[in-house]
Amino acid sequence: MSQKVTRRQFLNYSLMGVGSFMAAGMILPMGRMALDPLFQDDSEGSMITTSVTVDEITEEPMQVDFTFEQEDAWYTSEVTDFAWVYRDGNEIIAFSPVCKHLGCTVTWAADDNNPERFFCPCHNGLYEKNGENVPGTPPTGPLDQFEVGESDGFLTIGQVFPNELV
Amino acid sequence: MLYNFNDIKNLKDQLEFVDTAVIPFVSADLDEQALTHANDIELVQLVTIQLEKQFKGRIFITPAMTTVLSDTEVLKQYQKQLYDYGFKNVVILTHLNLDDEFNSIRLNQIPLQDMSSDIKFDLVNDEVKKVMKSIISIWNS
Repeated sequence: MSQKVTRRQFLNYSLMGVGSFMAAGMILPMGRMALDPLFQDDSEGSMITTSVTVDEITEEPMQVDFTFEQEDAWYTSEVTDFAWVYRDGNEIIAFSPVCKHLGCTVTWAADDNNPERFFCPCHNGLYEKNGENVPGTPPTGPLDQFEVGESDGFLTIGQVFPNELV
Repeated sequence: MLYNFNDIKNLKDQLEFVDTAVIPFVSADLDEQALTHANDIELVQLVTIQLEKQFKGRIFITPAMTTVLSDTEVLKQYQKQLYDYGFKNVVILTHLNLDDEFNSIRLNQIPLQDMSSDIKFDLVNDEVKKVMKSIISIWNS
């Protein structure tokens, strides 16, 4: 009954076994490294999750803080920034608060005479709710927008891009 | 604007818009009050950083000026220099009690060392708001 294993067969099997272990030992790490970029989180363009839920956002622009790490030559520091966020129908709009004139911070409805506009206190710049600069005031262009998204119900904020609503 | 190469390079051309200089003025005596001074310096720094963010396009923040024994001689000279350069307003941000010849904004003394970072953030922000209001009222006067 029992099949005799010849010396030749035995050597073949053991060579094949050892060889495939060696091949696997070389190919697996190489394969892992080749596929590695797929598993990496894209750190550059990644979205920052804020502490504000999407449901909280109303048609009135609100200030949403977000924190990220900034690398500055020798050290990394935690930077807190914010965006003006409001709801327009089903869409969520987020504006960068940086004035296009000289880089001050703009505020929603800070000027009593312009309750429905963004106001820059430095040189009395004004922007409409859609970010468009009001002619006759110093700013030369509309406010920049942030990419927005949603993660588990929370608002996420991404890169800045030029205003597309105007 | 800050006192760095790139900002100063363009400063002269932008005096029309950047018309206010802010001098942070701190005391560095190593006496019984040293711990308080250390705290004050930290607060002045935090406020200045926020202020720069808010009013970047209209204020020029000089490097913090340090004094001992509340001597204001250098400050006087610096103030004159800044007015001569073309600034319309020179504001001094300080914890010290200065004479009326200086346009100073006095900060509160906040014991930052014992606070959790949330509370610290709130208190510093309140202080920043107070300073911003003072500066805006200077602009509107």
